[in-house]
Amino acid sequence: MVGLSEGEKHFIRGGIAQDLRADGRTRLQFRAVTVETGIIPQANGSARVRMGATEVIASVKAELGKPTILHPGKGKVSIYVDCSPTAAPMFEGRGSEELSAELSVALQRCLLGGKSGAGAAIDLSSLIVIEGKACWDLYIDGLVVSSDGNLLDALAAAIKVALSDTGIPKVNVSLNAETDGEPEFDISDEDFLQFDTSSVPVIVTLTKVGKHYIVDATSEEESQMSSAVSVSVNRLGQICGMTKRGGAGLDPSVIFDMISVAKHVSQRFISLLDSEIAAAEAADAE
Amino acid sequence: MEHVNPLTGFRVDGRRPNEMRQLRGEVGVVSRADGSALFEMGNTRVIAAVYGPREIQNRSQQVNLKEALVRCEYRMAEFSTGDRRRKPKGDRRSTEISLVIRQTMEASILTHLMPHSQIDIFVQVLQADGGTRSACINAATLALADAGIPMKDIVTSCSAGYLCSTPLLDLNYIEDSAGGPDVTVGILAKMDKVTLLQMDAKLPMDTFETVMELATEGCKAIATYIREVLLENTKQLECQRG
Repeated sequence: MVGLSEGEKHFIRGGIAQDLRADGRTRLQFRAVTVETGIIPQANGSARVRMGATEVIASVKAELGKPTILHPGKGKVSIYVDCSPTAAPMFEGRGSEELSAELSVALQRCLLGGKSGAGAAIDLSSLIVIEGKACWDLYIDGLVVSSDGNLLDALAAAIKVALSDTGIPKVNVSLNAETDGEPEFDISDEDFLQFDTSSVPVIVTLTKVGKHYIVDATSEEESQMSSAVSVSVNRLGQICGMTKRGGAGLDPSVIFDMISVAKHVSQRFISLLDSEIAAAEAADAE
Repeated sequence: MEHVNPLTGFRVDGRRPNEMRQLRGEVGVVSRADGSALFEMGNTRVIAAVYGPREIQNRSQQVNLKEALVRCEYRMAEFSTGDRRRKPKGDRRSTEISLVIRQTMEASILTHLMPHSQIDIFVQVLQADGGTRSACINAATLALADAGIPMKDIVTSCSAGYLCSTPLLDLNYIEDSAGGPDVTVGILAKMDKVTLLQMDAKLPMDTFETVMELATEGCKAIATYIREVLLENTKQLECQRG
């Protein structure tokens, strides 16, 4: 993990208390975010997001599958995150499993809603091809390539950008007698449907160090945290999910305070991402 | 399926039989690692990161006290292949490739200069389109050079195959899965020594010689390219120092 001396620890904590962090940011300021889209040619949508030295890749793949019996009118989405050992030697072998699982579950909670798919950020009924017979299965894969703190926010941002880059092929269904009423699928290579990603939330993690909390913590700052609250907020300012990490207890009033700050910060982050997405798409089109 | 067009002599992706895919190397892609590199051979794209030399983390792995311990892990991203299937981590193929990369790199690292220390090489495949083994070795060489680890020579690797009675350089996935022989060669470029040689399927002796020669030529071309990348990188570093 991060090896820090007493002096360095004191410096980080003192800087946060005085609203001037080690890299010159204020407490509620993000690092510079860069976004690239369409980096994985074989995926339906993909994105790379860099926040400082943190770098993550998200890819979205769509496959035709069968809806579950319980929800015949809905497609399926699964999210899986992997931490590459290139990011840190401790992720070698099975070392990344715990963190990968933690991140995957947190993202599922924030993006997929309940078991029935109610409240999901992605409209699952838009993934249906024929009710009860065929639907699109979306596989969202996150990969942490380089890690310098705030992985959850970066992954959520990458998934949001990848989803906006995703094109689902149009499917023509033909029912004929030869195949016993089994539908035949003709997947178009040219026509794609775009997703409505306006309701996909971003995640803002507030990390509490000492008496104050900060956004977009680096791994040095994360090593000094007492607890962290990740709040996922959509464009309308609604809260879509929440996770608290870290051992120390939080006063409920502090949590409410953090939520309102996260709500405020997230709107800034969403507009920042939107402009980055537009810039990336413009660069792609050239 | 015709892998070489009998009329034009071009391959499925429009290359000539002795033509390599587009190479691209970039140094320093993972800022937190001691050394890192991205290497692309056509659509095959891998990232390598090197951590070390540093203190040995697990004493029981230390075999020789007088030499550095070199470790390697090969991992494929979930989205790297065309069809998405879950493979358990540490499957046999990955373990084998990890071992191959480790042994190949060990041949060039001057391990006796760094006793009581370990060097970790991690390679992550982002896109797989044939020749991941070779791409990983080339990426690892760049990353080791970026980390400033003393090496005897640059190790490079390239594959060659034999389809439609034509020797083909740098097979892509379609050619690789055609069932013909696939010879992967790794060489120490300047010393002209072979550190890696693998072949599947059978091939007559005299044809093998031409195929291997072709692969070796490919390795040398890659070595020239890697040197260019490193030189360019060093020039940039010099500029930054002012």
